[in-house]
Amino acid sequence: MLDDGAPIFSQVADRLADEIADGALREGDRAPSSNELASFYRINPATAAKGINVLMVEGLLEKRRGVGMFVAQGARAQLLARRRRSFVEHYVEPMVGEAARLGIGPEPLLEMVRSTLALPGRVQV
Amino acid sequence: MSATISVSGLSRCYRSHLALDGVTLEVEGPVVVGLLGRNGAGKSTLMRILAAQERPSSGHVSVLGGPVWENDEALRRLVLVREDQEYPDVKVRDAVRAASWFHPNWSAGLAEAMIEDFELPPGRAIKKLSRGMRSALGIVVGIASRAEVTLLDEPYAGLDPLARRTFYERLLADYAEHPRTVLLSTHLIDEAAGLMERVVLIDHGRVVLDAPADDVRGGATAVTGSASSVDRFVADRPVWERRLLGAQQSVVMPGLLDEVDWARAQQMHLDLKPLSLQEMVVYAAGGAWRSVRAKEEACV
Amino acid sequence: MRLRTWANVCRFHLLQRLNYYVLPLAVLAFGFVVDVVILELTPAGHTPDRAVGGLGSIYVLVFVLGVQSVARSLPFAMASGVSRRSYYLGTTLLAGAFATAYGLLIVAGQALERATGGWGMKMAFFRVPYILEGPWYLTWLTSAVTLALLFVFGTWFGLVYRRWRIVGTVTFTAALVAGGAAAAVATTWAQAWGSLGHFFTTLSALGLTGLLAAVAAVLVAGGLATVRRITV
Repeated sequence: MLDDGAPIFSQVADRLADEIADGALREGDRAPSSNELASFYRINPATAAKGINVLMVEGLLEKRRGVGMFVAQGARAQLLARRRRSFVEHYVEPMVGEAARLGIGPEPLLEMVRSTLALPGRVQV
Repeated sequence: MSATISVSGLSRCYRSHLALDGVTLEVEGPVVVGLLGRNGAGKSTLMRILAAQERPSSGHVSVLGGPVWENDEALRRLVLVREDQEYPDVKVRDAVRAASWFHPNWSAGLAEAMIEDFELPPGRAIKKLSRGMRSALGIVVGIASRAEVTLLDEPYAGLDPLARRTFYERLLADYAEHPRTVLLSTHLIDEAAGLMERVVLIDHGRVVLDAPADDVRGGATAVTGSASSVDRFVADRPVWERRLLGAQQSVVMPGLLDEVDWARAQQMHLDLKPLSLQEMVVYAAGGAWRSVRAKEEACV
Repeated sequence: MRLRTWANVCRFHLLQRLNYYVLPLAVLAFGFVVDVVILELTPAGHTPDRAVGGLGSIYVLVFVLGVQSVARSLPFAMASGVSRRSYYLGTTLLAGAFATAYGLLIVAGQALERATGGWGMKMAFFRVPYILEGPWYLTWLTSAVTLALLFVFGTWFGLVYRRWRIVGTVTFTAALVAGGAAAAVATTWAQAWGSLGHFFTTLSALGLTGLLAAVAAVLVAGGLATVRRITV
């Protein structure tokens, strides 16, 4: 479930963000409460609350008084934009660097990307 | 705002053995604090002093805003669960009934549910219970009491992993609904890691680490790969441990590794694994032990 | 609030039903039966009632109950947030309640004994001469104070054992014996045995009860002092 890398609260926040980005949690949906998250992950509710707070500060979740936490409007778009920006940094650059190390030129590299995209069963966004 | 638990310069001496040596600690509830340390480190002594079951040799103790010794008002809001708890010659249900009288926040429903969880036979004499069952009884009393200050001293002796999970789940669930100050002393750190908001590590009667759990977890990383790559990656940075097997090397590097490091490690085909809370505690205790062992632990 | 804690401690002790409800009656019954057998087997004298000592059995038992009351109940109460002082005073309250109840039983026993002409065999089991003679309320008072005194004495012993173990208990006993011996020696030197004897023979049952109550108060103080620093 949760690993020892990042602090637990930020892993909880990341998981929730993933759900929003994937569309599993849609805008206007009620987000799990800190107690529910604590129970699910078997963690301290204060830690879970911290994770929820991270997303609230980033504007991805909003609090409706007396009702709970809800996914804010535009949350998914905001997340996808942010992830697109880091996509280049985390995926493209390492790939280009590794290709260079292996002696794969730009054209063969692009060909690899194209053929991978064309594979049956690939997820189409 | 006064702290829930406040301890300063606390020392406890037995004959010639210094069990606690100038412990200073402040806990503001509600919170779950993990009290960690080796056997004989002083965790139990500290808890017994907090519960007024023992007197310190020197230092200052304050629980719930005042001295706890013989203080009925404060003691009523406190519970201590210990492994070697003595019980009178009565049945399980009698002990539970008695506990319900002494604890103002007692929840009979929760007690009943937990007795079922642990499959505790209510009509059995306590002296006939197995070690695990006795621990389960202690846990039932500890959690159902909903005491503002809940001290749990390795309450899981003899409990199998499934029962321990029940303990963690019940504690977490009830803590979520009824927050309180919980001090949990345990050896099984990784199991309970998710519960703890803060860890206090005691070694040879001294506090050697007192930090938020999140700060401790992942505070060091194990780097494994080819010996030369590891050496290049580490460069001249500090290392806690180094292990060699043929051309493979594994080191433990303290401190946080940033994204650059992670990217480099990936390029160098190195395996990075952040240390768990338990592993971190082992290193912290080990380091402290090395420097403390030289000093004679004698009472002044 | 304090009284509520003492009452809870009382209730807590009484969970040991065998000790407080069954054993006293069983022990009394046993003493009774033994006395009946003795009387049956020995020739009757010419005294109106034949006094027997079986009632002493409950007095021995109550001392043991006192010792036991701080054995394994104390740690659990302390873990549940009861201060030592409150535990001790609650236990003393129990002693009083127990003594009052069983004192009443003795009074009832006396009445029954009188009505049945000494159980049909002129046995004076409950009607202990001198000490338990007189009006029923006096009997009740005297037997209750004596029972309470022995209970509290037992409690003190139990606490001494908990705190200082066997060596401490032996020392404590030795100190009591030495104290008694010293008092005896002092009395001899002052040639006060005569006046002491005179004092006791002229002492009414009520006066004796007062004396016993004073002794009980001293024992309670002793127990309180011993419990103060006990660790579990």
